[in-house]
Amino acid sequence: MTEKGTGKVRRPLLERLGKEWLFFDGGTGTILQEKGLKGGELPERWNLSRPEDIIDLHCGYLKAGCDIFNTNTFGANSLKFSRENGELKQIVEAAVALAKEARRRTDREDAYIALDIGPTGRLLEPLGDLSFERAVEIFGEVVRIGAAAGADLVLIETMSDSYESKAAVLAAKENCDLPVLITNVYDSSGKLLTGGTVDSTVALLEGLRVDGLGVNCGMGPEQMIPIVQRMVETASVPILVNPNAGLPRAENGRTVYDVGPETFADWMKKIAGMGVQAVGGCCGTTPEHIRRTVQAVRGTACLPGEPGKAAEVAGGSGAETAAERGVPFVPNTRKGRTVVSSFSRAVEIGKKPVIIGERINPTGKKKFKQALRDNDIEYILSEGLNQEESGAHILDVNVGLPEIDEPQMMAEVVSRLQSILPLPLQIDTSDPAAMERGMRLYNGKPMVNSVNGKKESMEAVFPLVRKYGGVVVGLVLDEDGIPETADGRMAIAKKIYETADRYGVPREDIVIDGLAMTISSDTKGALTTLETLRRVRDELDGHTILGVSNISFGLPQRSVINAHFLTMAMQMGLSCAIMNPGNEDMMCAYRAFLALSDMDPQCMGYIEAYANAQRTTVTAAAKAGSGSSAAGPSDKTGTSPGGTSAEGTAGGPALPDSAGMSLGDSIRRGMSKSAADAARVLLEAGTPALRLINEELIPALDYVGKGFEKGTIFLPQLLMSAEAAKAAFEVVKESMQDEKQETKGRIILATVKGDIHDIGKNIVKVMLENYSFEIIDLGKDVAPETIVETAIRENISLVGLSALMTTTVVSMEDTIRLLREKKPDTKVVVGGAVMTQEYADSIGADCYAPDAMATVHFAEEVFARSDHTAS
Amino acid sequence: MINVDKKEIYRYLGYRRNMPDAEVLRTVDYCLGELQREITPRFVYRQYPVESVFTMPGMQSHDTGISLRTEKGAGISSDRKKGPQIPLLRIAGMEIRSLSLSRNLRGCENVYLMAATLGLGPDRLIARASVTHMSRAVILQAAAAAMIESWCDEVNQRIIDEAASQGLYCRPRFSPGYGDFPLEYQQDFAQILRMQKEIGVSLTESCLMMPSKSVTAVIGITKEKQGCVLHGCEVCENSSECAFSRNGV
Repeated sequence: MTEKGTGKVRRPLLERLGKEWLFFDGGTGTILQEKGLKGGELPERWNLSRPEDIIDLHCGYLKAGCDIFNTNTFGANSLKFSRENGELKQIVEAAVALAKEARRRTDREDAYIALDIGPTGRLLEPLGDLSFERAVEIFGEVVRIGAAAGADLVLIETMSDSYESKAAVLAAKENCDLPVLITNVYDSSGKLLTGGTVDSTVALLEGLRVDGLGVNCGMGPEQMIPIVQRMVETASVPILVNPNAGLPRAENGRTVYDVGPETFADWMKKIAGMGVQAVGGCCGTTPEHIRRTVQAVRGTACLPGEPGKAAEVAGGSGAETAAERGVPFVPNTRKGRTVVSSFSRAVEIGKKPVIIGERINPTGKKKFKQALRDNDIEYILSEGLNQEESGAHILDVNVGLPEIDEPQMMAEVVSRLQSILPLPLQIDTSDPAAMERGMRLYNGKPMVNSVNGKKESMEAVFPLVRKYGGVVVGLVLDEDGIPETADGRMAIAKKIYETADRYGVPREDIVIDGLAMTISSDTKGALTTLETLRRVRDELDGHTILGVSNISFGLPQRSVINAHFLTMAMQMGLSCAIMNPGNEDMMCAYRAFLALSDMDPQCMGYIEAYANAQRTTVTAAAKAGSGSSAAGPSDKTGTSPGGTSAEGTAGGPALPDSAGMSLGDSIRRGMSKSAADAARVLLEAGTPALRLINEELIPALDYVGKGFEKGTIFLPQLLMSAEAAKAAFEVVKESMQDEKQETKGRIILATVKGDIHDIGKNIVKVMLENYSFEIIDLGKDVAPETIVETAIRENISLVGLSALMTTTVVSMEDTIRLLREKKPDTKVVVGGAVMTQEYADSIGADCYAPDAMATVHFAEEVFARSDHTAS
Repeated sequence: MINVDKKEIYRYLGYRRNMPDAEVLRTVDYCLGELQREITPRFVYRQYPVESVFTMPGMQSHDTGISLRTEKGAGISSDRKKGPQIPLLRIAGMEIRSLSLSRNLRGCENVYLMAATLGLGPDRLIARASVTHMSRAVILQAAAAAMIESWCDEVNQRIIDEAASQGLYCRPRFSPGYGDFPLEYQQDFAQILRMQKEIGVSLTESCLMMPSKSVTAVIGITKEKQGCVLHGCEVCENSSECAFSRNGV
C-alpha cells in the first residue's frame, strides 16, 4: 500500500496526498505544558530556549507513524515576535531545523515538515482593526522564512475566520511554491466562529486553489462528524480531519481532554471511513492517540515494526480481522457544483434561478453617480440593503465612473458591503485593476462580471479567477462583435470554456451570458438569446445569465416585456437573472415560475409573498410608475430611512397608520414615511421648499432637540425624528433638482485611532446632517495624520472626535496636538463615553459635547462666528 | 434564546424612570427578535488558584515572561486609588497589582476566569442599522448590551452552581477595566482562556474585545457565604459616576 518505513525517500507530497492515507501529528500545547510550559509563556520561544524538548515532541509523533508534522510556529508572527531584532526569523528557522533534526533522529526522512501557521489573534477590518493586506503581509513574512528554511508544505490551521483564512492562503501562495493545506475551527452548530458554513468555506478555499482543506480543534472527533459529512458532500480536494481529544475541561487550573487514545482511534476510524483522506489530532491528543489512529485506519497488517499490536488495537470489540484490514482508502471526487459565497452564505447556481440585484450601478442613475463623486458610501450601501430586502440572492457591484478612482472605490464598497450584508457579491467592472482589488478584498468566492471571447479579455480575467477564485460571467461576443445567430454565440461560449480550462479555471466556474438585446431594434433578438440559453444548457451542460431588462430598451411599459421575457428565459434554463428585485412585475414572474416548476416546496415562498398582498394590475402598476424602467422604482425607496414597503416585507417594525398627519407632527413623532408623504403633499400643493423647511421642518426638529436637552425626549426618539426629517429633506431635495444645496459648513467626524466603536460618532453625524452641515466621515480607528491631512486639504474649520475608552483618549490628545501644530485655526469638539469637561480641557479640546445636540450647538456657534469674521 | 430584562434596555437608552413611547417599545421588540436570531452565545471558564503576596510596587518578580503591570491603562482614575500596600495577585501566570481586585478577592484561594460573548451578529446588525436607521442602531446597541449582561449572568450562574456543588460560594464577578484593574489584562485572559480558539473573541491593538459584546471576568470563590453576587456593577468604584449604574435607579 505505501512504502512508509521501507524506503526513506520523500516523494512530493502531492503525489501522495489524496491518493493514499496520510496522517498528521497531534497536540503540541498539552505536551509542552507537561514539559513545564507556563500559562503565559509563548511556546515558540522554546525553539530557541529548549530545543531538545521540541525535538522530543516531534520524535514522539514521528515514531507514532505520522506522515505530516507541524513546526512549532503556530503563533510565530511579527505581532508577537520582533521582526527588527531578528527574533521572528530565528524562531521560525529554528523550528524548521528542529523538525529536520527530529526527522533525522527517527530515520523518518519520508515525513513532511509542515510550516504551521495559526491565526494572528486579531480580527480583520472593518469589524476589527487589522487590515486585510497587513494580515497578508504578516503571514507572508513567516511563509518566506519557513519555505527558505526547508519546510515541505504550509499548513494553515485553527482558523476561525474565513477572511483571515483567505489572507493566509494568499500569503502562502504568493510567497512560496509549496503545497498549501488549511483546516478551520467549526463549532457544534457547524459554523466557523465568525459565521461561515462548511459550504461557504469550501467554496472560498477551493476557489483559492488550496491543495487540501478540513477541520481541526474546537471539538472532539464525535462532535465533528456532521461537519465532516458536509465536507465530504461539498469538497473536491482532499479532506483533512484533526480533532481535539474531546471537549476541553478544567482541572486544577489546567485544560484537560478526556478522550483516550483507544476511543479516539475508534472515532477516527469511523471518520476515515466517511470519505476523508488524511487524519490526525489537535489539542489534547498525544503520540499514543496518533499511533492508535494510524493502526486503526491503515490496518495493523501493514504497520511496520510493531507486529504484536493487533490484538491490543482491536480491544474489546473483537473485530480483529477488521483491525488488520483497516479502512479502505477512497479518494475524494470532483463535485462540479457552481457556488459563490459570502462570509456566511453559499449560493449554488444551477439548481433554481437566482436573482442578482443590479441597482449598485451608476449607469443611467444621476443620484448614484453623484453619490460616487461625493464618496457617499452610505447611499450605495442602502441600495444594497434595499435589494436584499426585496429578495436578491447576489448583488452586482459596479462603481465605474470615468472621474473616480475605480479600484479604490471598488475596494471600499466591497469591504463595506460585505461587513453588513450576507449576500455574495458580483464584482462588475471592465477595469482589470478594479476587478483584482475587488476579488482580492472580497470575503468569499465572488461572481465576476465579466469576461468575453476576446483574447485580450480572457488573458486579463482568467488569471485573476484562477488566483482568487470566482464564478465568471462569459459574454458571448468577441473581436468580431456579437453573433446574430445562436450558432455563432455557441461557438464563442465553447471558446470561453476551452480557454478557461487552459488557465485552470474549471467549467463549473463559468456562466454564459446569452446577451439580451432590445427587441425594439431586432425583433428576432429575444429568440436568438433564448435559443442560446437552451443550447448552453442542453449541449454544454452549462449555466447561463442575462441582464434581463435590456430586452425592452426603447419600448413603453418595459416591465411587461421584462417580466414575460424573464419567464421565457427561465423556462429555457436561465440560471441567473440580473435584474431589479424592487420591480414587482419581475418578482411576480420569478415567484410564479418557481411555484409552477416544482422549485417552491408547497408553494410556501409564493404564499408568503402574496397571501396578504393586494395585487394591482400590471397596467395600474405601470401607470403608477412602478416599472417603467429599470432605473425607476427603487429610487424612491433608496434613501427613505423607514416605512417603505420593502422594509415591511423584511419584518421591520410596522408603522401605525399615519395618513394625513402634518409634516411637523410626523417629524415630532419620528415617522419617516408619513414625513416624506407630508412633504410631498405640501410641495405638490405649491408650498415653496424654503418655507416648508423653515416653517415646518426646522421648528419640529428644534422642538425635539429642546425636549431632548430638557430630558423629556430620549435618544431613540431624537434619532427617529432626525430620520423622519431626513426623509422629508430627501423629498425636498428631489424637488429642487439642480439647485445648489446650501450647507452651513463642512465638518470632519472621526473615531480616533485604536477605537473601533463608532456608534456615538454616527449619532452625531445624523444630527449634524439634519441641521444642514456637510459631514466628512473618516470612520473609526482613524490615525491623527489622516484627520489632519484631510483638515488641511479640505480647509476644515471644525473637527469632531469621539473616543470610547480611556486607553484611546491618548490618540485623541495626539490628534489635537498634531492639529494645533499643522492647522491651528481648526476647532475641535470631543465626545465619547469616558469624556468629561475636565478631561476635554486637559487634552486641549475647544469644546466638550456631552451629547449630539451639544455638538450641533457648538457647530452653529463656530460657523456663525466664521461667517461673521468673513463678512 | 437569552432572557433580557427590558428595563435594563430602557436604562441603557437613558430613560431612567420614564417609559419609552409605543414606537420605541415596538422597535425594542423588533431589535430583540433580530438579536436573538443573529447571536451565537459562547463562553469559556476555568478555575485557577490565586496567590496574594505583599511586595513593593515596581518590584520585578519571577520569570513567567509576563511583566508587572500596575498603573498602565488604569487611566484617569488610577492615581487617586494608589496606596502603598497593594498586594500582588498571581493568577494563572498573571501578576496583577490592583487594590479593587484584591479587595474583591480577599480570602479567596481559587478563582474562576471567565469569558462570554454574543458573537459578531450584534456588531453586524449595528453596523447595518447605522447605514439607514440610526435610531435602530442605538436600540440594538442597548439591547445587545443588556443581553450580554444577561448572558454573563447565565454563565456566572453555572459557575455559582459548580462552586456550590463543592460547598463553596462566589464573589461578584470583576472585569479588567473595573476600578484599578487595568484593561491590558485582556491580553492575558485571551491567552489563558484561548479565547479566539474557543469562543471566537479577539483583541484589537488597544485591548478592546471583538465581538464587542463580550465580557471577561474574575470570579473569586470562598468558603464564606456571600450576598448578592450576580451583579458586577455594584463592585465597580466608578459606579457613582457611571451613566449606566444601577445605583441611580
